[in-house]
Amino acid sequence: MLNIEGLHVSVEGKQILNGLDLEVRPGEVHAIMGPNGSGKSTLAYALAGRPGYEITAGKVTFEGRDLLALAPEERAHEGLFLGFQYPVEIPGVNNVYLLKAAINAARKHRGQPEVDAFEFLTLVREKMKLMHMEESFLSRGVNEGFSGGEKKRNEILQMLMLEPRLAILDETDSGLDIDALKVVANGVNTLRSPERSVVLVTHYQRLLDYIVPDFVHVLVRGRIARSGDKTLALELERRGYDWIIEEAA
Amino acid sequence: MASSLATRIAEEHAAALTSLPEQVVARERRRSAIETLKAEGLPTARDENWKYANLRPLEKVRFTPGGRAPTLTVADLPDPIEGYARYTFVDGVFAPALSSPVIKSGISVASLRSSAIELGDHTVGSNRAPATTARDARFALLNDAFAVDGVDIRVAAGADCPTCIELVFVASVEAPAGSSYPRVELHVEKDARLGLIERYVSIGGTGANFINAAVKVDLARGATVTHYRIQECGAKAIWFDTLSAVVAQDATYKLHGVSVGGLSSRSTINVQLAGERADARVSVASVGDRQQIQDAFVLIEHAAPNTRSEQTFRGIAAGRARVAFNGKVVVRKGAQGTDSQQSLRGLLAGPEAEVDVRPQLEIYTDDVRCAHGATAGKLDDNMLFYLLSRGIDRATAQRLLKWAFLEDVVARIEVPELRRYIERSLAGQMQEADVLKELL
Repeated sequence: MLNIEGLHVSVEGKQILNGLDLEVRPGEVHAIMGPNGSGKSTLAYALAGRPGYEITAGKVTFEGRDLLALAPEERAHEGLFLGFQYPVEIPGVNNVYLLKAAINAARKHRGQPEVDAFEFLTLVREKMKLMHMEESFLSRGVNEGFSGGEKKRNEILQMLMLEPRLAILDETDSGLDIDALKVVANGVNTLRSPERSVVLVTHYQRLLDYIVPDFVHVLVRGRIARSGDKTLALELERRGYDWIIEEAA
Repeated sequence: MASSLATRIAEEHAAALTSLPEQVVARERRRSAIETLKAEGLPTARDENWKYANLRPLEKVRFTPGGRAPTLTVADLPDPIEGYARYTFVDGVFAPALSSPVIKSGISVASLRSSAIELGDHTVGSNRAPATTARDARFALLNDAFAVDGVDIRVAAGADCPTCIELVFVASVEAPAGSSYPRVELHVEKDARLGLIERYVSIGGTGANFINAAVKVDLARGATVTHYRIQECGAKAIWFDTLSAVVAQDATYKLHGVSVGGLSSRSTINVQLAGERADARVSVASVGDRQQIQDAFVLIEHAAPNTRSEQTFRGIAAGRARVAFNGKVVVRKGAQGTDSQQSLRGLLAGPEAEVDVRPQLEIYTDDVRCAHGATAGKLDDNMLFYLLSRGIDRATAQRLLKWAFLEDVVARIEVPELRRYIERSLAGQMQEADVLKELL
C-alpha cells in the first residue's frame, strides 16, 4: 500500500529525514515512535504534502502511484488522511460544512454524485455518537474554541467520515486524558480492516495499549533505527530511547 | 485657494442655484457650503485621511443634480426586507410609486422637499458636527450645496420600532450628465428604538453614477438604533458618503456597513459619543475586486465619561482592487472610563491587490481601556493546508477561508433575512456564489 524508500526531507534548509525506508501493507497498523526531534511529524507532513517540507531524495509510492507527485488534495482523494497533531481552528467554517465538502470532494473524484443530505446527517450523527461528541459540534466553527481533546476527537470523526485507505495519525494521543484516549482509540479501531492501514505517530507507549500495532518503528535522527513488534514499545517504555540512540550512533 | 475642480463646482452651483429647493437646504447655507469648498477645495490624495480614496474620477463628473428620472417599476428594485417600510429615492428624489410606506407608531418619515417640517440647523457640516472632522466632511458640504431632496426621519420618545424603515437610494443618472445626492436626517428621541436599513444601488444605464450621500444621525438619551448600510452600486459608479452621528447619554448606536459595489467607494463616518455611557458599535465589511477602490474612514470620538466603542473591520481585496480602512479613536479630556476596542483585519486575495488597515488612537485622558488589533495579510497557510488535506480543492478552500474571514462582521447582522441577503451579495461580489451556495 505505502512504500517509502530512502526518503530525505528538509525543512527550512535543515535536513530532518535522512533516508527513511518503510513498507506498510494493507490491513497493517504501524507505530512510529522516537524521541523529540527525530522526524516523526516531518514524516507525517511530508506524506500529506505540506508546503515547506522539501523532498530532497527518495521515493514514495501509495497504491502503486507516485505519492510525491500529487497535490495534498489529490493525496486525500487517493485515500490518504492526516490526523493533525495540532488541528487548526477555522472560525467561520462550520464542521458540518467541512465534512460535507470533504466527502463530496472524494465522491467527485470517484465519479459519484454528491452525498444525499439525509444520509449524510444520519451517518455523521452515528459517528459522532461513537466519538462521544455532542450534536452542537456540527454548527460550530472548525475546531473553534475546542479543547485539546475535542480537537483530537474531531480529527478522528473526520477520518471515520472519509474512510481513508491509509490514516496517518500524528500524536493523536497527546493531550488526552485516559477516557478521551479510549474514545479516540475505539474510533481508530472501528476503522481497522484488511484493506485499511494506519500509521500511528506517537511519543508514548500508552496509546498502543488500546490500538495494538502490528509493527513498531523507532525513528532516530531521521531514519528508522529499529523495528519490532508491539513488545518493542513496551521495552521503550521500560528503558527509554537512550539505548537506541546510542546504538544508532 | 480654489482648485480648478472647486471652481467648476462653484460655477455649476451658481447656474443651478435658483432651481435647488430652498426647503431641502436653505439658499444661504448652500452658498456658504460652496464658499467653504472654494476656500478649502475638495480633499486630495495629499490629505492624510484621504490618501487611499480615489478622487480622480471627480474630474469627469457633472455635479449638478441629475437629469431626467427614468421610468422604473418596483420590479427593478432589490427585494424588500420583510417587515420594513420602504422609501425609495431615485437620483436623490423621493419616488412615491416605488415606495411602500407603512404607518408605524411614533415614527414620522418625510421627504425633505415636500414636507413642511422645520429642519433647523441640524444638517451635516453644521456647528454640531465635531470640529475635528470638518475637513473630512467636505463631501457633505457638496451634498448641502446640491441636494434636491432627502428624507427626514423622526422617532418619538419611547417609540419602539426595531423592524422599521428601509431606504433605497437608486442612482440612474450617469456622471457626465449629472449627480445623485442622497440625504438622510435621522432624529431619534429619548428611549426610542429603531431599526433602519439604507441601501444604495444603480439601476438603468451603465451604472457609471456619481453618488454623494450625506447622513446625519442624532440619538437622544437612552435611544437605540441599529443601522444597516449596504452599498451595491454599479461596477462603474463613484460613491462618496459622509455619515455623522451624535450619541447621547445611555444611547446605543450600532452601525453595520457593507460595501461591495462601485468602481470607487469612499465612506467617511464620524460618531461622537457625547453623553455618559453612550455606546457605538461600528462594523464594516468591504470586498473589492477588479480595479475597485473600497475606502472607509471611521472616527469615533469619546467625548463623555464611561463611553464604549467597538470597531470591527473585515476587508478583502482581490484582482487589482484596493481596500482600505482607517479607524480612528479619539478619547477627549474628561472621557475617563472609556472602553474602546478595535479589530481591523484586511485580507489580500491576489498578488496585485492592496489592503491598507490603519488603526489610530489619540488619548487625552487617563483611565481608559483601549484594545486594538490590526492585521493585513494573506490567507492563513495552515488553514489552507488543513482544508486541502481533507481533499477540498484549492480554489474552494480559498473561497471558504475568504468567506470565513468575513464571518466576524456578517454574524453581527441581527436580521436573518438581511443577513442572508448580505451573504449572497458578498458571495456574488467574490464571484463565488456557486461554490458557497450551500452556506447561503
